[in-house]
Amino acid sequence: MRRTAPIAILALTCTLLISMACAVVLGPVSLGSLVTLPSAGMIIWDVRVPRVITAALVGCALAVAGTAMQGLFRNSMADPYIIGTSSGGALGATLAIVLFAGAGLPVFAFAGAAIATFAVYIIARQGGRIPVETLLLSGVALSMLLSAFLSFLMYTSGRSLHQIMFWLMGGFWNVSWGDVRIAILIPVGCLAVYLYARDINIISLGDEDAIHLGVNVERLKQILLFASAFLTGIAVSIAGAIGFIGLITPHVMRLIVGPDHRVLLPAAALAGGILLLWSDTLTRTFAGDMPVGIITACFGAPFFIYLLRSRMKA
Amino acid sequence: MKPVEVIGIDVSYGAKKVLEAISLYAKKGEILGIIGPNGAGKTTLIKAMSRIVAPENGEIYLNARSLDSFSFQEMAQQVAVVPQGISISFDYTVRDIVMMGRHPYIGKLSSATSRDLEICDRAMRLANIAHLAGSSVNKISGGERQRALIARALAQEPKILLLDEATSNLDISHRIEILNIIRGLTGEVTVISVFHDLNLAAYYCDRLIMLKEKKIFAVGEPGDVLTRETINTVYGIDALVRAHPLTGRPYILPVYEPIMEHQSERTVHVVCGGGTGSDLLYALHREGFRVSTGVLNVFDTDYATATALGIPCVTEAPFAAISPGARDSLGRCIDAASAIVVTAMPIGQGNIENVRILKDYRDKPIILLCGGANRSFQDCTGGEAEAIIHELLDRGAITAGRIEEVLRILHGAV
Repeated sequence: MRRTAPIAILALTCTLLISMACAVVLGPVSLGSLVTLPSAGMIIWDVRVPRVITAALVGCALAVAGTAMQGLFRNSMADPYIIGTSSGGALGATLAIVLFAGAGLPVFAFAGAAIATFAVYIIARQGGRIPVETLLLSGVALSMLLSAFLSFLMYTSGRSLHQIMFWLMGGFWNVSWGDVRIAILIPVGCLAVYLYARDINIISLGDEDAIHLGVNVERLKQILLFASAFLTGIAVSIAGAIGFIGLITPHVMRLIVGPDHRVLLPAAALAGGILLLWSDTLTRTFAGDMPVGIITACFGAPFFIYLLRSRMKA
Repeated sequence: MKPVEVIGIDVSYGAKKVLEAISLYAKKGEILGIIGPNGAGKTTLIKAMSRIVAPENGEIYLNARSLDSFSFQEMAQQVAVVPQGISISFDYTVRDIVMMGRHPYIGKLSSATSRDLEICDRAMRLANIAHLAGSSVNKISGGERQRALIARALAQEPKILLLDEATSNLDISHRIEILNIIRGLTGEVTVISVFHDLNLAAYYCDRLIMLKEKKIFAVGEPGDVLTRETINTVYGIDALVRAHPLTGRPYILPVYEPIMEHQSERTVHVVCGGGTGSDLLYALHREGFRVSTGVLNVFDTDYATATALGIPCVTEAPFAAISPGARDSLGRCIDAASAIVVTAMPIGQGNIENVRILKDYRDKPIILLCGGANRSFQDCTGGEAEAIIHELLDRGAITAGRIEEVLRILHGAV
């Protein structure tokens, strides 16, 4: 563990708290006019506070799920959005909307995320290993299949189309205190992943090596995939499929705090919260509440291409 | 109670059988080497013992306890494995990697104690890697990375250490360094290691297991397992097995090119000594000439070469001058030869007879292998030897600087 690690965690925690405070203040209704409005209390308490909390927690969830997957797949290009977990979650959520008018949506989102993740895991596996190429390709292939199902549901859904579109783009329009109550499960999932931080360090050396060091590799994989699907499922059920947070944050944090997951996981969690919080604040303040998934994809996809290129050079 | 006992295991990958009816054991504190050609199943055997692959039949016991009854954590406290090398995707430091060796001892909710740190430091010192503790494993050399993996294995405080060609990718100095470290552990730790280098295996191992095509071909002490015959059967090469001059352990010298069957009756007699004729004897033998040599004393390097190649050699006792009996045998050899090659050797009172005799053979083609890459004759007789050489040259002896030249002359002249 690097000596700078506690400082980095402290700095990130402070940044997150300050960001949350700023985000509550910032918004389409400026601070100046907010003071004069009679509905100011309602705007702050019922709209902005839950939205800020959920944005931070969803960012956390995606970053932790991404970090766990990158460690597990020994591959810094894994991310819940890229390998199809988010699409699975979105499909689950859509099914809940179409079939049950949105009832049990988080459960469906989680189930979809979990099924998609395990499917990619099984498809990409070659003799116990998961090579980058097959991982990305099976993620793409599965996402295509899932988007075909989604298109079918959208085509046949009629009036719930707008609601479905929401899950595809990802955003925090209708967030309320009810969503915060669901989002509370996110720290629980993060904590569960954190318990396996040392095991993730070891499994990132390779399956055989991990067995030699006393890790029950197959069980660890199942636990981590389950936890990642759980976190992604909750995130999707609240905010739809938001991409690239789980890709970028672990990457950048690994450069800053090093690859030790005991530090990397909390650092990525905090940074993911900060990143998504600011993306959301940006869109609702300056972009007329455009879906935040558009913003994250705008800086996430080029980053992904950059990673691919630098991998090819190496 | 044996630290490791394997009883009749078979291992397959899919439909392909990799190991068949393997039974072996390791004694406490010994180094047991596993040798055999590529594809013989060496690595699979290590994988079976470290529970990476499951055998179909048979049982593996660690200290009389079945391998299957161990949990992953218990297993890692008993057995450490040093792989051939690993690629590490993330930039862990050497200390991070070595600390991972303590993983089986640290509970889920606890963190490393000062004792764990101490053990980790000691392991790094033992493996001579402590000075790199803070460096990234991806920015150190292959030898250093391998030492880090050994330190990690030592941090596990294992009873049994398995090495899968742990030194194959290293240069000779690092190999020796690492194997010395490992041999320093024995007594408390039982080591089972796969070797490609038979000479290292012969020196470092107490016993060897030789695999051939999925099965055990030979087991025993290096001297019994590594013989010309077993190496020929298992590896399909001809090799000389000698005692290492310093250690007395078997030392394997491959005969690099296949020897041609004798094609002709052309016989060449080589007068040499002190190791100056070994390469020539080998070259002539390889080219299919019938070769004889002598007179050599039985401690001469050239004599050892001649024996290894099965070349008839006239011998004399060490430090004795050439006796009339030996001189007669030499005469018969020269009579039978269609050409004579003399290598640039030191000539003293002991062996001057070897060249003096040539003055009697006026019609035999004589080639002197000297000058060029070879040394010239060294006269220790106070002028007599030099005079003889000059006489031979005056009478038409040919000089050749290189062995290839000798071969060309012989092919033309004989």
